[in-house]
This record gives sequence, C-alpha cells and structure tokens, in this order.
Amino acid sequence: MKYGDKIIYIEGIVVEVHDGSISVDLKGRLGFIKVPMRMVISDYPIRVGQEVALNMSFIEVISDEVNEKYVSNIEKRNKDKKEVE
Amino acid sequence: MAITLETAKEHANDLAVVCCRTEAGTIIEASNLEDPAIFPDLEDSGLLKIPQNCLKIKDVLGAKLIKTIDSLTPLTPDLLEGVQVMKEEKQEEVKEAAQAVESRPVASVVQAAGGVVKIHIGEGKNINLEIPLSVAGGMVSGAQTSEVIPAPQAAVAAIKEKEAAVVEAKAIRRLVKKHFKIEKVEFGPETKIEGTTLYIRKNICEDAVNVSNLVTSIKVEIITPEDYNKYSETIMDVQPIATKEGESKLGEGQTRVLDGVVVVVTGTDEKGVQIGEFGSSEGVLETNIMWGRPGAPDKGEIFIKTEVVIKENTNMERPGPLAAHKATDYITQEIRDALKKVDESLATEVEELVQYRRPGKKKVVIIKEIMGQGAMHDNLILPVEPVGVIGGKPNVDLGNVPVVLSPLEVLDGGIHALTCIGPASKENSRHYWREPLVIEVMNDEELDLAGVVFVGSPQVNNEKFYVSERLGMIVETMDVDGAFITTEGFGNNHIDFASHHEQVGMRGIPVVGMSFCAEQGALVVGNKYMKYMVDLNKSSQGIENEILSNNTLCREDAVRAIAMLKAAIAGEEVKPAERKYNANVKESNIDMIQQQTGRVVELVANEQVLPKSKKRMEIYEVE
Repeated sequence: MKYGDKIIYIEGIVVEVHDGSISVDLKGRLGFIKVPMRMVISDYPIRVGQEVALNMSFIEVISDEVNEKYVSNIEKRNKDKKEVE
Repeated sequence: MAITLETAKEHANDLAVVCCRTEAGTIIEASNLEDPAIFPDLEDSGLLKIPQNCLKIKDVLGAKLIKTIDSLTPLTPDLLEGVQVMKEEKQEEVKEAAQAVESRPVASVVQAAGGVVKIHIGEGKNINLEIPLSVAGGMVSGAQTSEVIPAPQAAVAAIKEKEAAVVEAKAIRRLVKKHFKIEKVEFGPETKIEGTTLYIRKNICEDAVNVSNLVTSIKVEIITPEDYNKYSETIMDVQPIATKEGESKLGEGQTRVLDGVVVVVTGTDEKGVQIGEFGSSEGVLETNIMWGRPGAPDKGEIFIKTEVVIKENTNMERPGPLAAHKATDYITQEIRDALKKVDESLATEVEELVQYRRPGKKKVVIIKEIMGQGAMHDNLILPVEPVGVIGGKPNVDLGNVPVVLSPLEVLDGGIHALTCIGPASKENSRHYWREPLVIEVMNDEELDLAGVVFVGSPQVNNEKFYVSERLGMIVETMDVDGAFITTEGFGNNHIDFASHHEQVGMRGIPVVGMSFCAEQGALVVGNKYMKYMVDLNKSSQGIENEILSNNTLCREDAVRAIAMLKAAIAGEEVKPAERKYNANVKESNIDMIQQQTGRVVELVANEQVLPKSKKRMEIYEVE
C-alpha cells in the first residue's frame, strides 16, 4: 500500500446489534461498517446508541484489475435476491 | 503513559525517557517515565530519538531535573542534577527474591525431567503494544508474589513424593474407533451402506427441512474429487460421520466412523447472504480449502455437502446458524443409523485410543479457548453422537464457564463447532476429532495429561474476566506443572487469552500459548506471563487469507509447543519476540527440535500449493 501509514481517530455510533455482529455509523457521515462480535472490544454489554471509537485509515484500491471471482459471487447473490423478490 | 515502580525496577537497565512535560526542579520518579517497551514503536514513528548519552532508569530515579522538558525527551546527564545509581542493596534484594521463587521449581524439574530438551523459543509478535487499564489493573504484582511462593514448594514436595514411588502409566479410559471405508456415495431409495457404497435417501431433504422453521430449503450435493473445481457457498463446518455403538458413551467404548467421506455444512439466507458473512470462503472449492489440515477435508475425500437456506436476516442471530447445523445433522443422523446396522466384518481398520495417566511425570493441562460471543461464535459441547446436535450444550448458554473433557471425549467428537468466521483460523468440528495437540500430549510418555479444559470467550470484558478467574481456580485445584492455552483466530478473544495466561501464570505454572498472530492477528494485550508463545500461522503473508483451516493448529505446532513447555518447566528462558513477525523463528526452532530429539518434524504445506484463485493472485499476492 502506498498510503498505509495515515491512521485517523474516528468515532461512530452503534446502530444495529445482532447476536453475531454489530453495525456502526461513522460520525461525520463518513460511512458505515459491520463487524463480527469478536472484533469488538467492550467493557459493557453492547447496545444501540453507544458510541465507539477506532483508528482507521483510507481505503486504497490496490490495482485497476477486477477480480472475476468476486464479480461472479456478487452477481450470483444479486440473482438469488431477485428470485426471492 | 507513566510507569509504576515495579515496572521501573524490571526495566532498571533500560533507557530513561520522560512520558510527559516535566518542570524544572522535579525529582524524577517512576511516574515521570515512559514505558521502555514502547520505545521501538515510538522510534519507528519518529516521535523519539534516543541519544547515545541517554541515562538508564536506575540512574535517574531520585535525580533532580534542572530544565523544563517536553514529553518524550530522553534524560541525559546535562538535564539532571544528583544522578545516582539506584541503591545497590535494594536492587539485589529484589533480584534475590525473584531468583528464590524461580530456582526452586528449576532445581526439582531439571532433576526429574532428565533429558529434557532445552530450547529457546521466542515467537509471536511484540506483545506489549498496549495494555488497557482494566487488564493492567489486575496485573499489579505484590499480592501475586505471595501467592506464587507457596506453589513451587508444594510442587517440590509433590514431585519428591512422586519420585519416591515410581508408578507405571495407568490406562484409565479406552476408545475403539472402527473405520469403515466408503468409496462411492450415491442417492437411492433408502439410506444404507452396502460394501463400500453409501446410499443417501433421495427425498431426505423433504424431511430435513422440517427440523426447524427457520430453514426454508436444504439441498444435498455429493462432491467427488472430480467436482473439486465447483462453486460452493461458504463452508461453515467440516464434520466426520461417526456413531456410537450400543450403549457406549462419547469418549469411551466403541465408535464407528466412515473413512473417505465427510459432511460439509454450507448455507445462506433467503437473500443469498452467506451465513456468518465476514471473510466468507465461497467460491471454487479447490482454491479455498487447505487439504489435510486437521479440520479440513483430505484430498480425495467425498463430500456430502449440504446447502441450507435459512430465513432472511437470521444469518447473524443465534438460531440461524444453529438451524443450518440441525438440518444437516438430520441427514448425518440417518447415515449414522445406517452405519450402526453395518456388519462389523466390513471394518477396514480398528484403532484403539488409550488415555493414560502417568504419575510421576510432569502433569499438564490443555486449555482450549473456544468462541462464545454468540451466533456464529458458539459450540455444542458433548452431544450424544460424535459431532451430533442432540444432547450437546451450547457453551454460550453455559455462560462460557470452563468445562473439563477427557482427551478421548475431545477426539470422539465432543465438540460440535458452530464457529463460522475466519475461514483460515477457525477450528472446525473435525479439528477436535483429530486435535493434534491433544493426540501428541496424550501420547507423550514424559507428560501426564490431566485433562482438556474448554473455556468460552464471551463478548463483554467483565464476563471474560469472570470465566478466566474460574479457569484459574480450576487449574489451581489440578496442581499441574505446566499448561497449554490455545485459541482460534484473533480479535477480542485475545483479551481473555491474555487473562488466562495471567490466571495460570500467577499461580507459578509455566504456560505455553498458541494462537494465530503473524501480521494480522497481533495480540492486542499482553502480560508478563505470555512469554512462551507459538504462532500458528502458515500463510506466506501472515494473514487470514480465507483458505479453510490454513492457519490452524497442526502437528508441527503441537511438537513445538510441547518442546517449549518442557523447556519452560525446566526453567529455560526464551528469547524475547522480535519486533516484526519473522517466519524464520519457527524454522530454526523446528531445526533445533529435530537435532535434539532426532525426530523428523515435517512441515505442512501452505496455500502456495493450491491452484491460485484469481482473488488470491490479485488481492493478496500482487506480483
């Protein structure tokens, strides 16, 4: 990565809590992330509305190439979705 | 971050740097100083430059600062007045006390363990990165020291007693595994086994779907080696097909198992979202499976692969993944029932596993940390059938407290793993069925394996410490000479992993930790008991590369861990870990083990032997 060193303190709000994952809106309209429970460190039971913080960086595109395998997985999923609807 | 007096004493010979802005006239105390453990990071990031004439911590304590200086300024003679060497007497006292504590077990151990291999092993990443106050608070020594001292004395006495009466190994439990070879799997009118052919009832899915109202459909596919290039949904689990004979209980008596065929659980929700969708391993099978790992299929095996579809949006809730496993188990159970009826003469191999207790040898315990954060972080403990569902208790419902299993219960399918994230590092059900550490330790004639403790990893920190303290108490009652602690994958489970080390270590018991760390899974916390670490990484880049079971515990890791624990029990010091993950540490340790024991340790291959998927080539390994 060319810009990997830039680490930024970011805060967010817990917006969804599932048995196996939580979702977080990043403050400042900077995005949304969903992570498995084991990647969350907490001294308290996790509830919607709690504020979280993390150090993260920018997302850097590695190359111009498209990974056909992932494209096919995404297409397959979108097709399944349509079939359901 | 300021340090405590204890830390200052431990680091007396390290360099002194102030942690915060410090006014002229201040008498330097430990609380003015920065923790030397983080200097390399500070230097890397350019925040700190240490001059040649920087003083040592022992020299600056009590000296008076003559100039106001900023944070992270190294202390040099020109800044201080009254630089003195820390009172020699006091320091020696500390050292002696420390030696006294250590030397007792050392002497007895060296004597008893005779030809123990002495190996220095320093591995794992720098573990002193950051210690949250909640953990550090529990680490303050003092109270611990008093607890540590009696333990070795007791151990010495115990060892002497044991030596006095040299007792022979005692077989306490036996398990017979009868293997039945399967060469062909086909659909037929009923589920049965004829010779080496397994027939699965054609319409079995119509019944399996009714197992749970969360399951909307289920499909069974038979994957032969020719189909290895087919697409598959994320593999949630790999399971042996085995059943108990008659009234035999799990972990003893007779077990029948099918060779050449495994059950593979896969699934999505109605919208096509993979169950446990984080780093999913959906895609072409042969590019996504690390063949031959304890938890993975072996190359050449036939898969009975289920594809369970569960109700929309239930893939992240506990009942969802469990329903997928239950529906699959309905099918497996029908095969188990057929296996019970097979004529015994068809068995191709009869394997007897014996659990020995070896009084007089070094008593050890294996502690396996399993995921318990909920949903796809759960495990069923001790089902009635090997890797079954019925009778198994989810460790989340048990409060994740430690549960003791006999090694044979582990190897007889006592753990049904629902864990389904982190494809490369999670331990599948089959992993426990062939757990290399349990097998190696159980069969090591120099060790007395007391049992295998499973402890769940809850989500919230205070629950983590609750279960960890219970673990400490259990281990205390066992009077063991050493312990192994393993964990799967990385994340907040490393917090309890560290706490388990502390709980065991503060009781004076040497402990070897095993985890995937490498580049990506570096430990988030650490403590002084985490000295003996074995990294389970196999991937060439040191990352979670989505290849099933790639970075899980293999025999080579078990061999290293055992050598390390024996060395630790003998009081050998290990070299501190290098700053950056270095794969060569493992190689040189393996070389040393081979030289010392004359035993050849073959290293397993990694993902480089697989056909490269485009994903790996382009995302991870850009050439």
